[in-house]
Amino acid sequence: MKKNDKKWVILCSTALAAVYSAGYFTTETQANLGQPLPQIESNFQTNSSPVNGSKESSNITNSRYKDGTYTGSGMNRRGSIEVQVTIKKDVITDVAISHFAMHYSDRDVVGMPDEVLQKQSPQVENVSGATYSTEAFQNAVQDALDQAQNAVG
Amino acid sequence: MRKMKLYMDTVVDIQVVMAKSKEETEEKINRAFRAFQKVEQACSRFSATSELMRACQIIGTPVVISPFLFEPLMFAIEMAKLTDGLFDPTVGKVMEEHGFNRHYLTGDTIESPSADSVSYHDIVLDKGTHTLTLKKPLVIDLGAVAKGFAIDLAANELKEFAGFVVNAGGDLFASGVDEKGNPWKIGIQHPCQKDEIMDTIEISNEAICTSGSYERRSPNNPDLHHLMDPNTKRSPNELISCSVIAPFAMMADAFSTASFLLGANKGKRLIEEQDMKGLLIKSELQIVRAGGI
Repeated sequence: MKKNDKKWVILCSTALAAVYSAGYFTTETQANLGQPLPQIESNFQTNSSPVNGSKESSNITNSRYKDGTYTGSGMNRRGSIEVQVTIKKDVITDVAISHFAMHYSDRDVVGMPDEVLQKQSPQVENVSGATYSTEAFQNAVQDALDQAQNAVG
Repeated sequence: MRKMKLYMDTVVDIQVVMAKSKEETEEKINRAFRAFQKVEQACSRFSATSELMRACQIIGTPVVISPFLFEPLMFAIEMAKLTDGLFDPTVGKVMEEHGFNRHYLTGDTIESPSADSVSYHDIVLDKGTHTLTLKKPLVIDLGAVAKGFAIDLAANELKEFAGFVVNAGGDLFASGVDEKGNPWKIGIQHPCQKDEIMDTIEISNEAICTSGSYERRSPNNPDLHHLMDPNTKRSPNELISCSVIAPFAMMADAFSTASFLLGANKGKRLIEEQDMKGLLIKSELQIVRAGGI
């Protein structure tokens, strides 16, 4: 393998430039969410699996959720979690963590994310590791989705 | 200021050393989060409506795709060429079959059509026309590049700040200095002890990404994790963690995955060939350092 120092750096910076030069990241409000290309027939099998375990096929034509922002809460073994889930046209567009008390990095973080910075110990702030999953947040997200679903009809 | 949101099945944590007003800072952070949203909508294989999954329904005909998909896909294919297919973005169907098929927010599972034998040679990208052509039905997995690309885009949105960290579940870019004016201290997660770190490094204007086998196991087979050799359809186990430091997160992300798949010796060589630094941890917890870290 021939050493090729800059190739990957150039690929990365070209990739960033491509997004900006094409104007893809300029319009703030124009999120083209949930607009499937009309000419494409869907041949996917999507299985919806709600918490109660029963299986039902998701129906794209009828809306599953009502648009809006819903607060969901859940618990993990260290305490409470609160998330704000925003839904637009059956697409979850945003999940913000508004409160959590969970094991995080090498210490406990309790309270609002904004306040966390001041309270922290002078030790390591950030930890690099295998990407941890969102399992701890699933109950809270589901709680918010339940509310959105109940709101239909 | 610090804010957290969920994207790409992980917690994205953005920390900014404030110099601007609260409103201005918040707006910038929100723009940075939008990078994750955009890349996720483009690259997710867990959502039938993502740009990737819609484009992959068309076989044999060029499809115009946005740079949010084109660029990370091209990077992944270049990595596949470099590693002779050990790193291969067409590993998606294998991942699906091993139970990595569930959307983290909706819980919906996906089952996609695919030919039996696929490789990155079945993907044709045309830079001139920004098109993707699939030669066969297949499932593209951009798990080793998309998050890195989103981190790089988010970092670009925050570049006016003297210091910030974009941390997407343990893969991160750290810019400038922390609130005390020091380079950012980053711990390397201990693969077995959740509360401990193996080492600490200092970085500034660099990314560090870690691929490890200790977080995401296959729900169908406890011997398998989310890092898969597409040829053997098995998970290599010589390493349990591989961290790479690079100027861009997409680079650190892809090379940490590739090095993990290659194993200690070849992985170390790959990292050093590209003038990067890395910390590889073998399954018996022996640390292999690359690039003079």
